[in-house]
Amino acid sequence: MSAMTLKKAISPMNRLIPLVMAAATQLVWAVAHAAAPGITGPTFNLTAQPAYLSQPDGQTVYSWGYGCRIAPAGFAPSAIAGASCSTMQVPGPTLIVTEGQTVTVNLTNGLPTAAGNTSILFPGFNVTATGGVGGLLTKEAAAGGGTVTYTFTAGSPGTRAYYSGTQSDLQVEMGMYGAIIVLPSATPAACTTGPATAGGSLRFAGANGTAESFWTERDFRLAAAAYDNAKTCYDREYLFQFSEIDPNIHNQAMAQVLAKTGCVAANPACRLEVPTEPYHPAYFMINGRSMPDDMDTNYAPQYPHQPYNGNPHMHPGELTLLRIIGQGRWQHPFHEHGNHVRILGRDGNLILSQTDPNSLAGPLLFTTTTTPGVAMDGIFYWTGKGLNWDAYAHNPASQDPSAKLPCTPDANGYNTGAPTAINYYEWCQDHNKPVQAAPFGDVPAGGPTTLPDPNLFTNGAWYGGSPYLGPNATLRATGCGAGSPAGSCGASGSTPPSGTIANSPSTEAGFAFMWHSHNEREITTNNIFPGGMLMMMLVDSREFPIDESN
Amino acid sequence: MINIQLVRLGLPTILLALLSLPAAAQSFRVQCPTSTITHPSALHNNNSEPAYAAKTTLAAGANGYLVPSANVNGAIRCQQISGGDGYATMGDGTQTYLFSFGPLSGITDIANGLPGTQFPSIFNTMGPALSAGDPATADGVVANTWTGFPIDTTGLTYNGAVGLTLGIANVVTIYDISETGTTVRVIGNSPLGVAIGDTVTISGADTTGYNGTFTVLAINVPNPFFPANYAFTYTNTTAGLAEVTESTTATAGIAPKLDGHVDPRPIMDVGVMNGNIPAPLMAIDEDDEFFLTLTNVGMIMRPDLFEQHTVHFHGYPNASAFYDGVPDASVAINIGASFTYYYLAPDAGTYFWHCHITPPEHLQMGMVGQLYVRPRQNRVASTTTLNTALLAQQADLRTACRRPSDGASPAVTGVPDILCSNPMPAVSTTAVGAATVEKGGATGYAYNDGDGSTYYDVEYPLQIHGFDPNFHFVGMTFNPEGFSDMKDKYFLLNGRSYPDTVTPGPLATQSTDGSMHFSQPLPSIINIPCNADVNGKCTGKALLRISDLDVSEYQTLASLGIPMKVVGYNAKLLRDQAGNNLYYTTNSITLAGGESLDVILDSTGVPAGTYYLYTPNLDHLSNDAENFGGLMTEVHII
Repeated sequence: MSAMTLKKAISPMNRLIPLVMAAATQLVWAVAHAAAPGITGPTFNLTAQPAYLSQPDGQTVYSWGYGCRIAPAGFAPSAIAGASCSTMQVPGPTLIVTEGQTVTVNLTNGLPTAAGNTSILFPGFNVTATGGVGGLLTKEAAAGGGTVTYTFTAGSPGTRAYYSGTQSDLQVEMGMYGAIIVLPSATPAACTTGPATAGGSLRFAGANGTAESFWTERDFRLAAAAYDNAKTCYDREYLFQFSEIDPNIHNQAMAQVLAKTGCVAANPACRLEVPTEPYHPAYFMINGRSMPDDMDTNYAPQYPHQPYNGNPHMHPGELTLLRIIGQGRWQHPFHEHGNHVRILGRDGNLILSQTDPNSLAGPLLFTTTTTPGVAMDGIFYWTGKGLNWDAYAHNPASQDPSAKLPCTPDANGYNTGAPTAINYYEWCQDHNKPVQAAPFGDVPAGGPTTLPDPNLFTNGAWYGGSPYLGPNATLRATGCGAGSPAGSCGASGSTPPSGTIANSPSTEAGFAFMWHSHNEREITTNNIFPGGMLMMMLVDSREFPIDESN
Repeated sequence: MINIQLVRLGLPTILLALLSLPAAAQSFRVQCPTSTITHPSALHNNNSEPAYAAKTTLAAGANGYLVPSANVNGAIRCQQISGGDGYATMGDGTQTYLFSFGPLSGITDIANGLPGTQFPSIFNTMGPALSAGDPATADGVVANTWTGFPIDTTGLTYNGAVGLTLGIANVVTIYDISETGTTVRVIGNSPLGVAIGDTVTISGADTTGYNGTFTVLAINVPNPFFPANYAFTYTNTTAGLAEVTESTTATAGIAPKLDGHVDPRPIMDVGVMNGNIPAPLMAIDEDDEFFLTLTNVGMIMRPDLFEQHTVHFHGYPNASAFYDGVPDASVAINIGASFTYYYLAPDAGTYFWHCHITPPEHLQMGMVGQLYVRPRQNRVASTTTLNTALLAQQADLRTACRRPSDGASPAVTGVPDILCSNPMPAVSTTAVGAATVEKGGATGYAYNDGDGSTYYDVEYPLQIHGFDPNFHFVGMTFNPEGFSDMKDKYFLLNGRSYPDTVTPGPLATQSTDGSMHFSQPLPSIINIPCNADVNGKCTGKALLRISDLDVSEYQTLASLGIPMKVVGYNAKLLRDQAGNNLYYTTNSITLAGGESLDVILDSTGVPAGTYYLYTPNLDHLSNDAENFGGLMTEVHII
C-alpha cells in the first residue's frame, strides 16, 4: 500500500475529522518520502520569527520558529528538488555540516518585541558567542531586531539538537528548536565495498548502490556513514524530531503579543506573562507535523512553515539510519514496528565496546524513548528473516517467471549474488516455503496455516489482501496474477480488495509498519484518533523504486 | 467504529457481498496442526520440547524448499483467546469496565496463573460441557459459589480449545481415480479437506476395485485437472486397476474429525464478558511454531461499537505486516469470526502483546498482555556446557550471531550483524545446562547467554499498566472519549493494585451479566527460594519479566532491599558486539509504555524475609481516592 493510499486509508477512520478533510487528502497525489533534508553551510543566516502552524484538525496554531533570513548556501540532499527555507519553520532548518568545519550561525531576532530576546544553544559544541546582548546561558539577539553570532567547530560527527536558550519553557514550547547533523569527514572504506563476508552484517552499501542504480533510484543519503567508523555505514536515512504543543500556551502568547503590539522593548511592561504550567499538550508532532500531515511530502506547499515530513521507506536489507531527537518537554516512547534498532550513539557520541573499539555497544531497542534535548542515531533494517515462509510467495510450479526466481544464499543466508534481482536480500532458508495449507491463486499449498480469503471484503477495506511482498506476489496471492488458475480471481471476476483504488497492486505494495509513540494517547490530534505522533514505514520490494525527492 | 467509514464503505460492501461466495465467509474456528513442514510429526513428537543438542538438519525437499531431515528442535504451540469486554476489580473495590481479551484455551492453566499456551495434544481435545455462568468454573467448580479468597481452582482440569468439536462428515464426488503401482490418486470435483493419515472411504458402482476404507498417503497432489488440494493419494491392496474418469457414482468420504471446527455456543458461553487484565499469558520456546487464534466475541456493553480486534506481537523481529496487527496494513477480525496468527518463535526474550485497533482507547481499556520466549539454553542437557550449546547455535544462520574469534567454525572476519544481540560471551565459562526440560522444573535462563549469567530459580511476568477511571466509565457508556486529558488513577501490576497484588489465586469480578468471572488471574507475589549454601546464606534468584503498557506516562518500579540486576532490555540480552555483558545493578527501573526489561532479583547475601517492589512515583501509590496501594507488591525470600 502506498503512503498516499495509507493516508487515505487512515484519514477517514477517525470519528471527528470532517468529510471535507478526508476528501482533501485525496487531492494530493504526490507520493511522499522522507530522507533527512536540510540546509548546508558552514555559515547560516537564521532569523527567529512568528507564524502559524497547520494541524490536521483544521486549526492553525500561532508559533515561533527559526528560519532562513536569506537563502542558505545550499540544500541537501541534492536529490530532493523544490527545497526551500522560509523565514520561519518548525522544526528550524536542519543544519548540515561536515566534521572539522568552522560553523557560523548569525541569528536575527524577528520575534515580536514583547517576546523579548532570543538565542540558540548548541549542546555538544564549544560555542563562542559574539555580538548580541548578555543572557543567562549564552549571548542573545535583543528584542526588536537584534543580532548575535555563534561560532564553533563541528568537532565530531553525529546528530544533535539545537534550541532556544532564552526563556526556554516558553520559546521551546513555541517551536524554537531544530537539528544539526555533522557528517564524518571521511567515508570509511568498508561503506563502499561489496556484500558482506561470512559472519558479517548487512554491510553492503556498494552492492546496494548497484541495486539502486539498476532500479534507477537516486542516492538520498547525506553521507555513507553516520560516524568515522565502518560499523555505522548506511544505505538510507531519516530524521525524526518529536515535540508537542499545548494550544492554550500558544493562544495566550498570541493574545498578549497582539495586546502589546508596538510596545517598546525598554518598557518593563513590554514582555509576555504566559504561564507554562499546568501543561496540557493536545498536539503531538513528528518533524512539526501531526499525522496524517507528516506523510505528505517534504516542502509541501500546504505547510509553508512545516517543511519536513515523517514518511520512511526502505527495501529489504537496506541499513537505515534513524536520527531521532526529543524536542519539546516530554519523553515519548517511539516504537518501531518491524524490527529492533541498534543505537549507535547519543548526542554525537558513538557507543563502543570497552574492550574493542571496532565493536558497537549501544543497546538494541524496539522502543527508542525520546528525551527532550537528547539525540540518538540508530540503525534499523528489515529482511523477513525467520518468518518461516517465503515472503515473496515464490512457487517453483508457477507459470510466472518472476514467481520462480532463485535464491542463492550468501555466507549469511541472504540472496545477494544478483543485486538486480527483485528478491535481492531474500532470506533463503525460507525460499519457496508456503504459508498456506491449501493452494490459493498462484500460491502453493503445504504450509501451516489457513488464511482468510483475500477476495472477501469482510477481511478489511484497506487491507491489501496479501501477506506477500511485491506487486507480483500480491496479485498472484489473490488469484488474479500471472500463473493463477483461470477463474480464481474472485467470483465472476470481481476485484479483490488488493485491486481497489486504495490498494492498487500495480503501484506500491510494500509491507506497512506503524512507527509511533507508544504513549498511545499521543497518536491523537487534539483528542482525535488517529493523528499525532504516528507514521507508516513501508518496506518496498525492490522493483518499486523509492523516490524521496517528493 | 466510525460513521464516515460506514457511509464510504456501504455501497462497495454490498456489491462485493453479492459477488462473493458464502462458503469462505468468516466464522469461529481454531487452527492447531499436529504436523507442519517445520515440525513433521513423522520425525518428531510435537507435544514436548526435545533437548537441544544441535541445529535442526535441513535438506532440500521435493517441493523446492528446505525441510527438516533430522534433529528437529522445538514443538508446536497453540492458544485461543477471545476479544471482547469484561469487568475487573480495582484495589479500592471499584468494579471497572474493560475492553479485554479472555482465555479460550488453557483455562485451567490461566486460572492458576500460568500461560494458556498448549501443545497440540492438549489444545486439540474436546472439553466437558462448559455451561453458562462463570465458564472457567463450569469444569469441576460450581459457578458463583465461592466464599472468599483465595479461590479454590483445584477442581479445574480442562486446558483444550474451548468450543472445539468434531467437524462435519464430508463426501465429494470423484472426477478421476487412477493407480500407479498400488498408489491410488483420487481427484475430487471439490476439495475433500483431508489430512495425511486421515481415514477415507471410497465407494461407487464403477470403482469397485478402488472401493474400501484407506489411510491418506499424500495430499495436495498436483494434477492436470484441478488445483492440487482437490487430490490425494492412498495405498491400495491391488495393483493395475484401470483409470475411471467422470464417474457418476464414485465418492470419497471422511468421517467427522477434529479439524478446527468449533461449536459457537461454548465459545460465546465462555468468551462473552470474560475479559482478563492482563490478557491471557503466553509463553513459547525458541524453535516453536505458535498458532494463536483470536476469536472476536463482541463487546456486550458496547453494541454500538462493532469493534474489530487484533494481536500485535510487540517486538517480533523482521515481522510481516500481515501478522503485525495494525489494521490499516493487515487483517483485523470482525465480530463473530476468528483469525489465526502464525509465528516462528523469535529470539528468546520478554515481549508482550496488545490489540492495535484504536490503540489509545483499546490499550487504556485493558487489551494488553504478556508474552515471553524461553531460550534454547533451557533445553541443554546437564552434561553439555552452555558454551558448547551456544557454539552449536552459530551453525544455523537463522540463530547465529557471529563475531571474530568467537571459536565457532568456520572462523569469520566480518563484523557481527548489527541487530543480533547475543554473540559468544567474551569470557568462556564451563557452566553446564540446567536442563530445565529434562527436570521439568521452573529454573532456567532468560537468554542464550552461553555463560549461565542469566540463570534463575523462579520467573515471574510483571506487567505495569494504568487505568483512568473516568475514561473507563465513559468507555462503558456512549460518549466520545477525550485523550489529551487522560489521567491514570489506578496503577497496576499484572492488572491489580496493592493490596490485591498479594492476594493468592485469581481475582473474580461480577459482570453485568450477573455472573462472577475470573478477571485478574495473576497475583504478583514474588517467592524466591533461599537455596541456602553451605554457610547458610541464601542464593536464590528470581527473574522478573517486566513490561509496561501504560498509555499515558512513564512508571518506575523500585526494589527495597534486594538489588536488581538488569540483564535484558527490549527483549534483547545486554551484551556488546565483542561479547562483554553489559548488565548493571540498580535499585529501580523506569519504563514507558511499549518497553520491557529483564531483572534478576538475587537474594545472595540477603536475609530471608519479606521485601517490597514499589513505585517511587509516590502519587502512583494510590488507588484512585485512597491514599494507599497502587503499584506495589511483596517479595518473599523463603
